[in-house]
Amino acid sequence: MSAFEIAIAAMITMFAVSAALLVGVVVLKWVNGKRRRARERRHAAYLKLLSKHIAAPGSIEGLTFRQAGDDAFIDALIDIRHTLTGLATDELTQVLDRTELIAYQSARLRSRFPLGRRLRAVVSLAEIGDARAAKVLMEHLDDRVPEVRVQSARGLARMRYTPAIDIILQRFDTESPWVQTRFAESLALFGRDAVWPLTAYIRVHHQQGDVGITEMIRVLGVIGDSEVGPTLAELLYTVENVEVKIALIETLGIVGGPMALRPLRRMSQSSDWRVRAKTAAAFGEIGDPSVIPVLNEGLSDPSWWTRRNSAAALADLPGGLDVLYSALDSPDEFTRDAAAEALADSGELIAARDRLEAGGSDPRDMRLVGYMHQPTEAVA
Amino acid sequence: MILEILEWVGYGILAYFIVLQSYMFFLATRSAAVLRRSHHLNRFGRVGEMLSSHRVPPVSIIIPAYNEEQGIVDAIRSMAIVNYPRLEIVITNDGSTDQTLRRLIEAFDLERVRIPYRPDIQTAHVRAIYRTHSPIKITVVDKENAGRADALNAGINAARYPYALCTDADVILDAECLVKGMRHVVEDRERTITVGGNIRPLNGCTLELGHLVEARVPKKMIPRMQVLEYLRTFITSRPAWSALNALPLVSGAFGIWKRSAVIAVGGFTSGHFGEDMDLTMKMHRYHLEKEIPYRMVYEPGAVIWTEVPDTARVLKRQRIRWHRGLMTVVKDFKGLTFNPRYGKLGMITWPGMVLFEYFAPIIEFAGWFIIPLSIYFGVLNIPLMVVFIALAYGVGVINSLTAILVDESFGYYETPADVFRIVVMALIENFGFRQLTVVWRIRALFGGKKTKTWGNMERRGVANLSAKASQARSS
Repeated sequence: MSAFEIAIAAMITMFAVSAALLVGVVVLKWVNGKRRRARERRHAAYLKLLSKHIAAPGSIEGLTFRQAGDDAFIDALIDIRHTLTGLATDELTQVLDRTELIAYQSARLRSRFPLGRRLRAVVSLAEIGDARAAKVLMEHLDDRVPEVRVQSARGLARMRYTPAIDIILQRFDTESPWVQTRFAESLALFGRDAVWPLTAYIRVHHQQGDVGITEMIRVLGVIGDSEVGPTLAELLYTVENVEVKIALIETLGIVGGPMALRPLRRMSQSSDWRVRAKTAAAFGEIGDPSVIPVLNEGLSDPSWWTRRNSAAALADLPGGLDVLYSALDSPDEFTRDAAAEALADSGELIAARDRLEAGGSDPRDMRLVGYMHQPTEAVA
Repeated sequence: MILEILEWVGYGILAYFIVLQSYMFFLATRSAAVLRRSHHLNRFGRVGEMLSSHRVPPVSIIIPAYNEEQGIVDAIRSMAIVNYPRLEIVITNDGSTDQTLRRLIEAFDLERVRIPYRPDIQTAHVRAIYRTHSPIKITVVDKENAGRADALNAGINAARYPYALCTDADVILDAECLVKGMRHVVEDRERTITVGGNIRPLNGCTLELGHLVEARVPKKMIPRMQVLEYLRTFITSRPAWSALNALPLVSGAFGIWKRSAVIAVGGFTSGHFGEDMDLTMKMHRYHLEKEIPYRMVYEPGAVIWTEVPDTARVLKRQRIRWHRGLMTVVKDFKGLTFNPRYGKLGMITWPGMVLFEYFAPIIEFAGWFIIPLSIYFGVLNIPLMVVFIALAYGVGVINSLTAILVDESFGYYETPADVFRIVVMALIENFGFRQLTVVWRIRALFGGKKTKTWGNMERRGVANLSAKASQARSS
């Protein structure tokens, strides 16, 4: 075969592939459009049927096991599930029993391929949150696909299946930051049930300083149980890793209350500017005016962020606004700007302007409004 | 001897195009695999749940604006309702000579304020800063005119948050684009320094209240051709480059940048025609030379819609500007080409960019003269040449069709008629349009040194597109 003949053969092949692709594109578009419209119709019909059943149980005769694999049905079921608050779950259980959906989707999740179908199965089980799926979801907390692990944890958290907490915690160290983040969200969904296992984990691992431990500490902040405040405050004295310190400070800002002030005051003297800046923000969260002198010092901190966070925190504290007004006369331009910004963000600027427009003549109002209208100067 | 050289050059040019299309085909197949996985994750991954996570870092949306009075207000409104928990919008008015600043002040009740402004990156003089006190924080930096790059740098200086989405004033953001993009940052916050997004032409689409309600392929030929070009670029090239961690370009219309990393390399280069590519390459070089682990990612699910030129005149100006930008970047980063020190970037994607983007118009243009000359002198086998051209054309069509096929997974264009229109473009783009773009890019080689860096798009504005769509419906 000559080079020319080979080239001709290649060309013919090329055109055949092009023609096939061309037909493929148009047919695929047509088929997809048709399927999508049919699915939307089925979804609407299922929604109607399920709503009717919830309102007047007993109208699900038309449902069979065939629906267990129908995406439109599953989506409708999930939509209905999201609107229920536990009152009508018996009716939903009847639907699940009749269609054998849990068994069907569990079998799909246990199969090895394809990925799309397995993800559909695990998301369905997680969203529906039926306790019978707990076993299969527990089995998949160590699945090879990260998203399956994430959704399994989420499903278990939605059904408040507490035995999963320890398993999730055990797996935590070995996971990527992304999965850790999603696991952390699931742990927060467990609410107070997760507080003590998490605290125990943090106590044991707090010197490790990896991403996982900071994530765990922040989950405690999301759950918002103030009982963990003393434990976290105690850890703040011993922990060395800066990231862990920052996570502890942030969480203490949320759950620590006045008991956290003592360790936080110590942190405000830290040599690391990030720790000082976060501490200033935490003071603002706690809202105790006794820290005003500390924050006032923070306004002249060498770090840009500490000054800014101190000003923002002062705006949140009773009596803090007076300090900010005084800071408008600071010799440091950046401190003045940070104070002015905090006053503006707190609504003081608008209030001051309104008062002046109403005929007021408070020198503080005039100072703030006048200051804000000076041209901005860059601060090195 | 001369005829022999002519013969070899002729065959060389033809072979070049087969290699080029094969390279594109390699990227397309690699991209298809990446997109398939990304599609599953976006469909079932419940990424939206991340919105409630405390791990999601806040983002500043930076919008440089120069004479954007027509659409700026609607564009900002559409950005303000993006699904994201912590967000601020920083608009840099780059010395507009129209009513851009006034429109912003009136629409968002802005007031002139003094806020801490750190010039981490040197910029032209900042005249004033304005801020609103609505729940969505909007800051306007009013500065002297110095071009898009300088405006972006001023926006980065004024930004309060650690990540900056640099975009344009004439775009519509998909509601989920930020959360999908920032997923990669949450995934690996230490290493992720940039996330690029998927840009699609807005022309022909239907908008309501700054939201895209129906994606359509434009009726006009010029923007329709660009739909195909954008599909090829964003669907069949960037996912593959991203998988290699060697993206040579994060587009200026949608790029999430780690603020500290941008500052470390000195920000966007002022006065540059291709400031987005320049910054992308600077970031690569900085991290590779300092051996700092990093990741630059492209997220196909993070979609934004932008107006593309709808006349040949405006398109010509845009392409000349782009090619000049590319020329400058190629010159500035010539040391990276086939340099193993720069890994996959130096050995695969950057040489690909130089060979198949920078040199392509020169080689194609040369081919227009050399091939007829070779035929005239009888040194080229005409049947073989026809086969070569047909092969190059065939592979090109396959690439385009693959892009259209893969794009089907996104399902933006709902009617078969829309897809048919793009398919027709795939078949005819080599007959006229391609040659036109070659001429424009050749023209870019002889442009002189203009300093203007704002493209004159003659935008109809996002608001005008909405109004036009409403009128069309009511009639």
